[in-house]
Amino acid sequence: MESIKHFINIISAPYVMFPLILAVFFFIFPPTDRLLAIHKKLRLYKLWTNGGGIALFSSLIIIFAFGLTDSNFRRIVTKPDNVPIAGLIFLVVFFLWWSMKQAWENDERMAQGQGPREAEDAKEKVLVWPDLVYIELIALILCTVLLIVWSIFLKAPLEEPANPTVSPNPSKAPWYFLGLQEMLVYFDPWIAGVLFPTVIIIGMMAIPFLDTNEKGCGYYSFRERKMAVSIFMFFWLVLWVFLILVGTFLRGPNWNFFGPFEPWDISKLEALTNVNLSEIIYMIWLKQRLPQNIFLREIWGFLLIFFYFGAAPLLLAKTFLKNLYARLGSLRYSLFTFLLLMAVSLPIKMILRWVFNIKYIVAIPEFFFNI
Amino acid sequence: MADQTDETKGILKRISETPVWESVFRTGIPRNRRQRMMVILNNVFLHLHPVRLPKHGIKLKYTWCMGGLSFFIFLALTVTGILLMFYYRPTVEYAYGDIIDLKEQVPLGIMREIHRWGAHLMVIAVWLHMFRVFMTGAYKSPREFNWMVGVVLLVLTMLLSFTGYLLPWDQLAIWAITVGSNMAGATPLVGTSGPGSSLLAIGDVNFVTPSSDARFALIGGRFIGEAALLRFYVLHCIGLPFVIMIFMIVHFWRVRKDGGISSPL
Amino acid sequence: MGENGQPQNTAQTDPVVSKPVTRAGMEIASPPEGSADTAAVDRRSFIKWLAVGWSAFAAVAAGYGALVMRFFFPNVLFEPKQSFRAGFPEEYEMDKVSERFKGKHGVWIIRDSEKIYALSTVCTHLGCTPNWLENDNKFKCPCHGSGFYKTGINFEGPAPRPLERFKVSLDDGGQIVVDKSKKFQQEKGEWSDPESYLVV
Repeated sequence: MESIKHFINIISAPYVMFPLILAVFFFIFPPTDRLLAIHKKLRLYKLWTNGGGIALFSSLIIIFAFGLTDSNFRRIVTKPDNVPIAGLIFLVVFFLWWSMKQAWENDERMAQGQGPREAEDAKEKVLVWPDLVYIELIALILCTVLLIVWSIFLKAPLEEPANPTVSPNPSKAPWYFLGLQEMLVYFDPWIAGVLFPTVIIIGMMAIPFLDTNEKGCGYYSFRERKMAVSIFMFFWLVLWVFLILVGTFLRGPNWNFFGPFEPWDISKLEALTNVNLSEIIYMIWLKQRLPQNIFLREIWGFLLIFFYFGAAPLLLAKTFLKNLYARLGSLRYSLFTFLLLMAVSLPIKMILRWVFNIKYIVAIPEFFFNI
Repeated sequence: MADQTDETKGILKRISETPVWESVFRTGIPRNRRQRMMVILNNVFLHLHPVRLPKHGIKLKYTWCMGGLSFFIFLALTVTGILLMFYYRPTVEYAYGDIIDLKEQVPLGIMREIHRWGAHLMVIAVWLHMFRVFMTGAYKSPREFNWMVGVVLLVLTMLLSFTGYLLPWDQLAIWAITVGSNMAGATPLVGTSGPGSSLLAIGDVNFVTPSSDARFALIGGRFIGEAALLRFYVLHCIGLPFVIMIFMIVHFWRVRKDGGISSPL
Repeated sequence: MGENGQPQNTAQTDPVVSKPVTRAGMEIASPPEGSADTAAVDRRSFIKWLAVGWSAFAAVAAGYGALVMRFFFPNVLFEPKQSFRAGFPEEYEMDKVSERFKGKHGVWIIRDSEKIYALSTVCTHLGCTPNWLENDNKFKCPCHGSGFYKTGINFEGPAPRPLERFKVSLDDGGQIVVDKSKKFQQEKGEWSDPESYLVV
């Protein structure tokens, strides 16, 4: 029992869990034909059948049931504000499974030359009264009942009166912003708090204009739009929902990482001394003092950023993303690669932090300009 | 009908034949196909719907009903929010006590719970609605614009929830808002601790100071205090609901104008 | 344009036809430039005036917008006084972080071997209040895990720069006065400013 808990504590650490997810993710949601072939060979599509759904759900329930035997896990999960997040896990898994199940069924139908199931249904027209209106009424009543029962059994949290001089330890943002708060560990506030949200909003708005694939409108499907679904799932499940879960369940006092079964020890010491890229280059590699001139000091970081956002899209257009470039045209392609590189910079920065203790690529605290 | 005597009619029948009833419900009880169409067309609320739908559009497994539920939860939040406003005073002195009173002294003491859990539920419902729209490719032409409006609605939903977070004036509230509002201070150029703000200066006179930057505009002071509480209160109760309703009107209108529920070609 | 205007003038004087009279009368009322053979010039000037009109409209709208923005920045702030007396220098132990004024004023007062300085309790990352951990000899911020040495220098976590120091001075009675309205930032080289510490 204890050894299982210990094992779970170890693998749930972000620097173990995140690479694990990265390694598995693109086999579960394959963006390319080659990965799809592996996906089929591994029979991973079984996840999207009834049996797979039962397996998914029972393993979720077993994990929760097992977790609830542990007092620490119980304390975190039953905290009133965390209950919606526990609910969120089940809802997200359920709807993920439901949509992928229908997508896979439609894919099979289309592989056999039939249209998607929705096309068959769409041939028949029904009147909104009473068919839809009653469904809406039932949904509305169920939702009201859920809300009232939930409200009776779970009190809304109210902590001590506000005290501007004592920060609770840990201090957490509302749960739906915990993804951003988790990014704040790796990025400066102006990036994690201003630039990233802006880019996320612009990126989401750009989806219909970047996804020029005309297929897959009005029915669930996967194979016709593998790339789009895979990228969306990656952003939504890994870079948003997963980070929220980490922020909610696995961040304890002093924003240290704690495994789900690890007691929140306020004096847990995590020795992390972070260094900037300029310090690594000048002080460790070149064994000299940092240059006085700010620009000279940070030139390596600037070059790196310039290469990442400037040269990398050009190189990719000539090599790996050749077809994509041809399909999207230069404007769409630049926007797409910019958004993609922006998003991928988060995992990159995480890995740089874990492996090299890198704090900033470009560090100019004099002008609050840190990347 | 007309020659039926009064004794043979039931009471309901008699009510439904009064001129008052007939002036309100013009179509009568929708029994035949024509009446079922007219009841949708004649009712201002039901008129959000089309009269007829392709069959997959009413199937729960296609729509998940999440868009409708988001709207319904918004209405529930509006109602409970208005009720809460009768007791809550947005001042540092009273806010916390009023929240306790809402639970202890006011009958039906779960109003705040419904409001808070409803807010969580609305965020989740909006996410799942967007997820469904993505998975059915319903953002594709001709619905690109409505997807963009939807993104705005998502952002407004989160902002509404965020501004509501401060109002209980407890530790959870002010520290979540401290973190959030300091991010505004890190905005490039217009935040004091954002990159480039020190460049906006003539000689020694700096234009971006703690009392003139983006963070100040949000919290109305250099510290989270009375002014911040009032600003968040106004944004939460009036400002953002006003904006979100405008966007919702556009969203629902465009759902219909762009061809209703997305269907396979 | 004069020639073109003539028949219309006669039409106006004709009392028999009633409908054209009013139409012609309206055309008379408009400036004579409105006639057909100068339409090309007119269109250009029309567009010019349209541009001027819309620019003026946009400018006024932007002005209103700026005024509304200005509305959110009041002229007087009712906020607590920024300076306070912090007792006598002898009250502070060597190499100790005093949390006496953390709660009330948001200041740590620290005495090392040669000087006393006042450190702001606002984390430079996102404004939470760090905790002084005596055993680890560091300030640790609970929000995102930034760590600071006793001097205020940041060494771990996301904080981009050291904690700020406040102006300290002695009043006539020999008491320390901390003035929070004047800040000293290490990354700007301001900690060497003699106002930022007290020599003891």
